[in-house]
Amino acid sequence: MAIIDLQNVTVSFDNQHVLHSVNFAMKSGEFVYLVGQTGAGKSSLLRLIYVDLQPHEGRVSVAGFDAHRIKSREIPKLRRKLGVVFQDFKLLPDRDVYENVAFALYVTSTPRSEIKKKVLMALGDVGLSHKRNQMPHELSGGEQQRVVIARALVNSPSLLLADEPTGNLDPASSAEIIELLRTINVRGTAVLMATHNYELVRRYPARIVQLKDGKLLEVELRERK
Amino acid sequence: MALGYLLKEGISGFRRAKLSMFAAIFTISISLLLLSFFTILLINANSVIEGLRNRVELEVFLGDYLSKSDTDTLQTKIVGLIGVEDVRYVSKDEAARIFQEEFGEDINKVLDFNPLPASFKVRLKDGYRTTAGAESVYVATKEMKGVEEVAYRKSLLEMLDTRAQTFLWLALGIGSFVAISAIFLVANTIRLAIYAKRKIIQTMKLIGATRTFIRIPFLLEGLVQGFIGGAIAAGVIYLAFEYLEQFVSMQLSDLVAVDREAYGIIIGVGCLLGILGSILSIRRFIGEKVVEQ
Ligand SMILES: Nc1ncnc2c1ncn2[C@@H]1O[C@H](COP(=O)(O)OP(=O)(O)O)[C@@H](O)[C@H]1O
Ligand SMILES: [Mg+2]
Repeated sequence: MAIIDLQNVTVSFDNQHVLHSVNFAMKSGEFVYLVGQTGAGKSSLLRLIYVDLQPHEGRVSVAGFDAHRIKSREIPKLRRKLGVVFQDFKLLPDRDVYENVAFALYVTSTPRSEIKKKVLMALGDVGLSHKRNQMPHELSGGEQQRVVIARALVNSPSLLLADEPTGNLDPASSAEIIELLRTINVRGTAVLMATHNYELVRRYPARIVQLKDGKLLEVELRERK
Repeated sequence: MALGYLLKEGISGFRRAKLSMFAAIFTISISLLLLSFFTILLINANSVIEGLRNRVELEVFLGDYLSKSDTDTLQTKIVGLIGVEDVRYVSKDEAARIFQEEFGEDINKVLDFNPLPASFKVRLKDGYRTTAGAESVYVATKEMKGVEEVAYRKSLLEMLDTRAQTFLWLALGIGSFVAISAIFLVANTIRLAIYAKRKIIQTMKLIGATRTFIRIPFLLEGLVQGFIGGAIAAGVIYLAFEYLEQFVSMQLSDLVAVDREAYGIIIGVGCLLGILGSILSIRRFIGEKVVEQ
C-alpha cells in the first residue's frame, strides 16, 4: 500500500513553479532518497507531506489522509503518524532534551509509564541518554540533530521524513545517522530522506528520486557514477 | 489527554518566563484595583441615594375637628393606597413635643394654645420612592375629607430622580469602560508573552499538537496569574481598610462598606480576567494560518 502518493502536484512561490506536475508514490516500509540541489524544492515536497504547505494543483495522499483537502482538525492526526526531522531542527528551546522528545508522546494519549520508557529508548538509539537533562542550546549541532531524530522516531511512526539530516554533520557522524535511519527502516518504518550528499547515497544504496527544474525523476545509481 | 503534562506545562510557564508573568500579574492587580475602586464608589453612591429616598415621607395634616374614629378610617384608607408602606399617626401633643425638641420652645407657652395639627407620616414602598410615586399618593390623600394639607420634599425627589440617575449611568458607563480596558490591557500583556512563544506554538502544531492541547497550558497560566493578581488586589484593599483607619482619625469603613464576599469576588474576577486575557491573546497565534497556499 502506498504511504505517500502525489499526483500531478504543482507548487509555486511568487508565480515560480517549484514543483511542476510532480508524481511520486512510495510504499510502506520503503527507503527513498530525495536528491536535488539547494533550492530544487526538496523541503517544499516534504512540507506537502506533513501538511505545512498545500499544493496549488494535484492530489496529496499521506497514510490514508487526503492531505490536499484535509480539515484543519484532522491535521494533527495525520502529523502524529509521521516523524519529521526538520531541516532547521525546530527543537523547543524552553525545555530540556528529555521533554523535547517526550513532547511527541504527550500530544498522543500515551500513558505516563510508557512515555518514560520510550523516550529513554529513543535517546539510547541516538546515543544521547546521558544528555537528557541538557537544554538544546547546550548541545552541539550534531547532538541537536540527533535529538530531532529521537523525537521523530519516539512515537514509532509509519513514515519518517528527514530533511537533510546529515547537513550539519562531519562524515563519521553522517554515517552514524544514516545507519540509524536504515535500522529504523528495517524495523518497518518507511523513510523519505532529502539530501544532497551523493557520497552517502552511493555508500548506502536505495531507491533515489531527483528533483530538477520542478520535475521529479527516478534515478538509477549506476547512471550517476 | 496527557493531564499531567498540561498541568505541569501550565505551571512551568512561570519558571520559563518570569518577567512576562510578573507583568501580567501586575497588570491584573492594577486593573482589579481600578475596577474595585469604581465598584465600591458605585455601590456606596447608590446606597447614599437609596438612603435619601428612604427618608422621604409624606406628611398628611389633619383637621382638628376629626374624631378618633374618623382618624382611624382615614388611616385605613391611606394604608390601602398603592405604594404606601406604612402610616404613623402623630397626635397634636406629639407634634408639640417634636416642636420643642427641634426648636427648644414649648409652643403652648408661646401661643397659649397648640396650633400644630395632628398628622400621618406616610412612608412609601420601595419602588414608589420617586416623584411619580409620591405624587400619586399626594393627589389621593389631598382629596380625602378631613385632610387639610399634604407636604413632602418634592424637590429632593426630583433631584434624585434626574441627577442621581444621570450619575449612576455615568458611573456605570465609566465602570464598564474600565472593565473592558482592563480585559484588553491584560490581554495585551499576555499577548506579548505568547508572542514570544509563537515559534514554539508553530513547532508544537507541526509535531501533532491540537489547538486545545496547546491552549490549555496558556489558559491555566492565565488562571493562576489571575488568581495571584486578584489575591494581591484583594490584599491591598483589605490592608487599606484595616490599617488606614489607624492613621486617619475617621473610620473608613463607616464611609464605604466592603463585604467579606467582596474579596472572593475580586479574586474570582481576577481569575476571569486572566483566563479571558489568555483566550483573547492566544487566539491570534494559534489560529494563525500554518498551511501556506
Ligand atoms: N515560503 C516560501 N516563500 C517563497 N519562496 C519559497 C518559500 N519556500 C521555498 N521557496 C522557494 O522555493 C524554492 C525551493 O525551496 P526548498 O523547497 O526549500 O528547496 P530545497 O529544500 O531543495 O533546498 C527555493 O527557490 C525557495 O526560495
Ligand atoms: Mg531544504
